[in-house]
Amino acid sequence: MLEKPEKLDKKTFVVALAGAPNVGKSTVFNLLTGLSQHVGNWPGKTVEQKTGEVHRNGLTIQLVDLPGTYSLTANSVEEQIARDYLVTEKPDLVVAVLNAASLDRHLYLVTELMELTPRLIVALNMVDVARQEGMKIDVKALESALNMPVVPMVASKNQGLKELVEIIAQKCSQPTDSPAVGHAEYGSQISGDIAHVEGLLTDEDTAPYPKHWAAMKVLEGDSQINKLVHERLSETRRAELDSFLDDKESAAITLAGLRFDWVQNVLSSAQERPSIGRHSLTEKLDRAATHPIWGLVTLAAVMGLVFLVVYGIGIPLQRFLQVSLIERAQTLVFDHMQFMPVWLQSFLGNGLLGGVGSVLTFLPILFLFFMAWGFLEDVGYTARVAFVTDRFMHFIGLHGKSSLPLLLGFGCNVPAVMGTRIIESRRARLLTVLLAPLIPCAGRMAVIGVIAAAIFGGQAILVALGIIVFSLVVLVTMGLILNRFVLGGKRATLMMELPLYHEPNPRTIGLVSWQRTIAFIKRAGTVILVVSIIIWVLSYFPGGNIEGSILGRIGKSLEPVGKLMGLDWQLLVALLTSFVAKENTIATLGVLLGGEGVGLSEALREMLTPAAAIAFLVAQVLFVPCVATVAAIRQETGSWRWPAISIGLQLILSFLLAVVVFQIARLIGA
Amino acid sequence: MRSERVEEYLEAISKRQQTEMPVSTSSLATDLGVSLPAVTDMMQRLAAEGLVDYEPNKGASLTAEGSRAALTTIRRHRLWERFLTDILGLQWDKVHDEACRLEHATSPETEERLAALLGNADTCPHGHPIPDKNGTTKDQKLRPLSDFDVGQTVRISAVAIEEGRLLRKIGKLGLKPRSIAKIERKDDDDGSLELRLDGHTVLMDKATADCLLARALSPGEEAADEEIPMIMLQTGESAVLKSYRGGRDMLGQCLSMGFTPGSPVRMIGNFGRGPVLVKVHDVEVALGRGMADKIMVTRKNSDARKA
Repeated sequence: MLEKPEKLDKKTFVVALAGAPNVGKSTVFNLLTGLSQHVGNWPGKTVEQKTGEVHRNGLTIQLVDLPGTYSLTANSVEEQIARDYLVTEKPDLVVAVLNAASLDRHLYLVTELMELTPRLIVALNMVDVARQEGMKIDVKALESALNMPVVPMVASKNQGLKELVEIIAQKCSQPTDSPAVGHAEYGSQISGDIAHVEGLLTDEDTAPYPKHWAAMKVLEGDSQINKLVHERLSETRRAELDSFLDDKESAAITLAGLRFDWVQNVLSSAQERPSIGRHSLTEKLDRAATHPIWGLVTLAAVMGLVFLVVYGIGIPLQRFLQVSLIERAQTLVFDHMQFMPVWLQSFLGNGLLGGVGSVLTFLPILFLFFMAWGFLEDVGYTARVAFVTDRFMHFIGLHGKSSLPLLLGFGCNVPAVMGTRIIESRRARLLTVLLAPLIPCAGRMAVIGVIAAAIFGGQAILVALGIIVFSLVVLVTMGLILNRFVLGGKRATLMMELPLYHEPNPRTIGLVSWQRTIAFIKRAGTVILVVSIIIWVLSYFPGGNIEGSILGRIGKSLEPVGKLMGLDWQLLVALLTSFVAKENTIATLGVLLGGEGVGLSEALREMLTPAAAIAFLVAQVLFVPCVATVAAIRQETGSWRWPAISIGLQLILSFLLAVVVFQIARLIGA
Repeated sequence: MRSERVEEYLEAISKRQQTEMPVSTSSLATDLGVSLPAVTDMMQRLAAEGLVDYEPNKGASLTAEGSRAALTTIRRHRLWERFLTDILGLQWDKVHDEACRLEHATSPETEERLAALLGNADTCPHGHPIPDKNGTTKDQKLRPLSDFDVGQTVRISAVAIEEGRLLRKIGKLGLKPRSIAKIERKDDDDGSLELRLDGHTVLMDKATADCLLARALSPGEEAADEEIPMIMLQTGESAVLKSYRGGRDMLGQCLSMGFTPGSPVRMIGNFGRGPVLVKVHDVEVALGRGMADKIMVTRKNSDARKA
């Protein structure tokens, strides 16, 4: 490994933020770094990595937000990333962000951090919540028991952050006489065992991890470290190690118990607990929010409110952008730029403005969804959603954490796919990612609305509802099939913390939503642009109109398939263009069917029998995810494999079921 | 090693001996689903091998050696059942047949590892005791649930017949070995029962009650240091975590979530279905029912309940 240049005039320091989920770590990070953040992924992982800079007293502090973890045993990718970062990058300082209201639990992470880094300070967040829960914490006593600085703070109210930066700067500028890595006192029995394992290993066996620490992890049965060590040991030494470990199976339990004992010991002098029998505000609220019946009522109310607000503001805003920006620009291109060649006009007007431009008008809705999601997260409600819906999700091999993303999908599939990142198990996450695009989003519902109204008149609502229910049945069925036969691996079981409810911090929510939107534009923008251009090229060349274009020919060549579902080539082409955005279906039909003086509704009535109309709606609602969703799937899964599977799956589903529905509908004489 | 067939017979005789001594050939024919002459044939063969004492027309009983062999097979059978439910996550109504196949292909070493992996579990998922290595079994002194009187509180400990449909029915009622139930009403005509269980009322016909084996619980006995699955705590009850059942894969997650032996836990929400809500180390944790079933606790003694 390269020697770090250790200079006295060092001005840049790397500080890592560690902490469990729900302790306000991201709030602390956001407040400290503001907009100077860089959001990316941890190398080779699909876990988000955030870094940012803070300047103080001529020092530059590079802040690294480690993934939220409860411990540093390799139970999850996040935990692995966090500890590998500490070991290989050796940050100058680690700040452990703890929730003051459940110190008992969160100090556990400190015991594990202590084993990896000696340069540690504690940011004691949410002291207001602790007070509200009836806990008294003596910061001075805690500092001396832990032997490290402790900064009390309320990040959501911007209190204590200045002091934290002060202490960070002070610690960083101190000479680095780093003391040895220590750990909680574990008693002679287990210390003897650790020493014994350590004796069986060499530094090379455990590199880059410290030997003592690795020995402890080997004893704990940590799968990653065990694998690493076993690969490096010769056969005889491996056998020696294994025979020693043979009857040490309970070491992990013993060590965890001892760490909690140590925590208890620290707290005995520093914390005064509320009298037993007192019920906290959270417990009172949870009586309704987690009840099997009232919890669902609450959920319905909350989601209803979310959709009301998002659509109440978002849809008019989208319409406004569409009409006053995109359509005006299109008029400008078509009516006032006749000096351009016709193909360029079409490219600008239909390809760019009609494709990318239309997708962009949905950004406000997307942003509002990110806001709603961020708000529910910050208040602490998302965990309750997972809790009350868990038992329903088990049918399709998922657990409650998948339900919020799926619910968001009714608005837009993009936040649904992006929302799956809260699911730890990769299997459950992939399954949710594949299912999310089957949720009829607002765009698809708009298409269903227009077509149902045109064909079915008074019964349009019933038909629309029927189609939505149908697509949900397909979703559940696909869940059952994928879960049972396709995806291997273990079924998910639920185990998660329900954080205390707390006041939301508008700044954090705004910032997080902004970042999510920007990240989406950055990563999905290119894909959307490229696909829009490709679709435009296909729909323009060689004839100069959609009818004679490649796309038109593809539609016509698909007509034999179309006939099976009672659809003419125009409808197939409309489906194909909905790949850019679901609403395009209507626009394309308008171009292809809306002749002189004939409205779209009339043309549709002439063209479609009720059976064919229902088949078309089925095909439309199940058709491949739109390009924005595809880009989101690519972003979340880190490969093109899953978007491809998703597209293939829905293409087959859509055509197959449309054929089946059409044939049945014709038989029963609809 | 003895043939699979021989092991099956020894196992059947051993089970029958709890109620019938000596065991008649016709009982065995029913239990094993074979013809009478086939049983008679086998009895003569087993007697020749010194595994049973057999008197024609009276019946058979196991010799000391036969008994040891039978208990070994039973032990393997029940260990496999535990493995299938606890580690592989199969439903309890499906494991009996699987275990029947596995038990005959088990070496002593596999048996020993299996027992160690399962934390030396002492009952099968249906509540029957697993004999220890020396073949001794704890006698549970159980009676059918239908024998008990109104007002008695009992611990339902085992299911007498391990048949799929019955087990699914029992599972649906929310009953499990170790459940504690109070008999509220008993119908004089058809013998059906009304039970109070985990805050629910459960109705049960006599046929089902005959198949459930239980023992009476004296007042305060359940407060004794008996380990129960956390899932059996009712809302508001406190307990101390003792141990885990099931594989190591859940261990790491349990430990980092704070579920360590010795930790006090409090059940905040157990609604009889869906996940449970538990407070541990000042944090509310939502836990799937399956997981909560594998974490063993002892109830905090009754003074906590008075308070």
